[in-house]
Amino acid sequence: MKVTSVKVTPHANALSRRMGEAHAPAGRLTEHCCVVELMTDVGLTGIAIGDEAAITSIEGLVSDVLVGADPRGVRSLWQRMANVQMAKRRGHRLHDAIAALDVALWDLKSKANDEPLWKTLGGTRPKANAYASGIDLALSDEEMSAWYARMARDYGLRGGKLQVGRDRISDLQRLGQMRAALMQGTPEPVLMIDADESWSPKEAIRRTREMEEHFDLAWIEGAARDWDFPGLKQVSSAVRAAVCVGEGFATVGEFLPHFHHRSADVIQIDIGAIGITGALQLADAAFGYELPVALSAAPGNIHAHLAGVMPYFMSLEVIDPIPAEQFYTTDVRIEQGWAIAGDAPGNGLAVTLKAITATATRAKQMK
Amino acid sequence: MRITGYRVEQYLMKMDRLVGDANLPSGVEMLPGSILWLETDENVTGVSLGYGGGIESLFGVIEGADPREVVALWIRMNDYLHKGGNEGAASAALSAIDMALWDLKAKLAEEPLWKTLGATAGRVKAYASGLDYCLSDEDLFAFYRRMAEQGIDSGKLKVGLDPKADLRRLGIMRDALSIASPRPGLMIDSNEYWSPKQAVRYIRRLEKHFDLIWVEEPARRWDYDGLRLVSQQVSAAVASGENLHNLADIYPLIANRAVDVINVWTGQSGVTGLMQIAHMAHAHGLQVSMMNAQANYMAQIAAALPNHNMMEVVDPGREHCLKWNHRIEDGYIVLSDDPGYGIEIDEATLKKLQANPPTGRGKFPFPRREGAGRYIVPPAPDEVPWR
Repeated sequence: MKVTSVKVTPHANALSRRMGEAHAPAGRLTEHCCVVELMTDVGLTGIAIGDEAAITSIEGLVSDVLVGADPRGVRSLWQRMANVQMAKRRGHRLHDAIAALDVALWDLKSKANDEPLWKTLGGTRPKANAYASGIDLALSDEEMSAWYARMARDYGLRGGKLQVGRDRISDLQRLGQMRAALMQGTPEPVLMIDADESWSPKEAIRRTREMEEHFDLAWIEGAARDWDFPGLKQVSSAVRAAVCVGEGFATVGEFLPHFHHRSADVIQIDIGAIGITGALQLADAAFGYELPVALSAAPGNIHAHLAGVMPYFMSLEVIDPIPAEQFYTTDVRIEQGWAIAGDAPGNGLAVTLKAITATATRAKQMK
Repeated sequence: MRITGYRVEQYLMKMDRLVGDANLPSGVEMLPGSILWLETDENVTGVSLGYGGGIESLFGVIEGADPREVVALWIRMNDYLHKGGNEGAASAALSAIDMALWDLKAKLAEEPLWKTLGATAGRVKAYASGLDYCLSDEDLFAFYRRMAEQGIDSGKLKVGLDPKADLRRLGIMRDALSIASPRPGLMIDSNEYWSPKQAVRYIRRLEKHFDLIWVEEPARRWDYDGLRLVSQQVSAAVASGENLHNLADIYPLIANRAVDVINVWTGQSGVTGLMQIAHMAHAHGLQVSMMNAQANYMAQIAAALPNHNMMEVVDPGREHCLKWNHRIEDGYIVLSDDPGYGIEIDEATLKKLQANPPTGRGKFPFPRREGAGRYIVPPAPDEVPWR
């Protein structure tokens, strides 16, 4: 089996709701992504959904590294792509491209075995603990509450993560509203906040402590800059909540200062930035420290496939329990608070190209 | 696809030559062996080599499970052992089962394990390791020359009891390897015979004459302060880990930056546990090196590791009841395309070995040598052929 070519289709994806965080408080209704279809000589196609900005890098990596290679050698190919990154030092565009291709390669590897990705990875059918994440800074209080209430009632999600960074009174009020909304489906909701790296460490301590007078927080994300290990360690020492770090990292090495200085209490991994191969490496490293691993949201919630092989998996982020758009379908369903992957071969993403064109037009209109 | 049963066979083998280190420079030739077969309802059998005891205590945890779910089964076994601990005999049993499960997973995909694990090629750089403290200077040269003729350009010498002899023998090893490279890679291994400060003095003396890639087990396996002290005071990298049996054991070495290279093998909680260790090391910028194995089968895993430098090849002749097609070519272990580990058991030879156990000198495991960590007891003239 050999990779023959790639087809990358840009797509302006209409979001299910206005999404925003502290650095983009106005929010957005569309997201620019791309559909990666990695073709092989045996007729199997590896699917991934990546960042639109990475398209040129994706095409370059496929022609430079992947064409002619057996996709089942995905871990070695990941390393080979990482070496290209080392040589070119082109930053995040290339990382995003490597991650998208790694997801497509794992899709091919499991399709070649005619089994779901979770089985290829060596897992039993994952029943992965999940939480709701509204990316909700741009939502009104009512919209935000309604969304979390629906997540708790309809999908049984037992935790919620609020984007903070409005004024202190508003953040505090909204935290209470999110909690009340989640309580419509679960008696003891797990509360998390994300400050999107908009605070200084001391500001994070003051604000978190104030919230902790009223609420029990499971973790605080983006408490300071992701690379600021002394600052994050300072926050962790001063608040009860765990400090969650790593979403912005695209290489395994960026986590090293946090491991070494124990400045992260929860290791957060984004397969869209670091690929499945990198995520597996990091999960093992985190297991060495017995640090819980959280997975950032992935299109179609395909990160559920990984949970069963991560020895210290904690929870995964769900932004949309079902795809907001019709341009792809997923085999992962959210039920009673769990993300459960099905038996379809590969990662279970299926793309309808006709729909791509249609939704692209719609997204354009929504702008 | 379900796991239905297992079979364990134990046997004693006489290797084709003696092997020895600072703890037993006179050497041994007897090696106990064991083979585990995991049986399934689909007529495919997973094999693991090396450790077979205690399977009955863990088999119930995986009985009836799908072997392709091996990582989840590892987590299940590890959790099952929570209170008693994943150490000692429990670690050996867990390792053996995990190895056989990976063999099954690869065989079910009808591919070699390196491919199942996601490597693009079954090809791993090799270094020669004579386990050679029991070899005469002539035999030492002959061993490394035979390895160099296969393209292997690096070697690891057993040292620790006699600095003058070790210097001479390092030169012999280098000369023997020089047909493979103008600058052969040199490593030494003292098998925990020294204290950290003894190690620093001894290694620096050797480093006046030789550039060493790594020194192996220059202090006790758990002594992260001591190992780090050695690493800080010598030019060579410090390698350790072969006597630790899971990620939890190795954690202090990595977290405290005590070692530069971690020796890994499947006895560290199986293929799954070994990969965990390699991945944690990788996240800290550390390298791993695969230990020697019968028919070099552990190269299957090394091929898929992101931070593997080179794998130990000892070749003492301990494959009498195995059939395999791996080979060494231009200094690399080249794995065959046979499924799983690429190893078949020659049951007829195994039966013969069991019916008429061979006899010979010494037997694994052997104890620590007198004086270790405090004072050096040089070998007596009749103990080794090189004094």
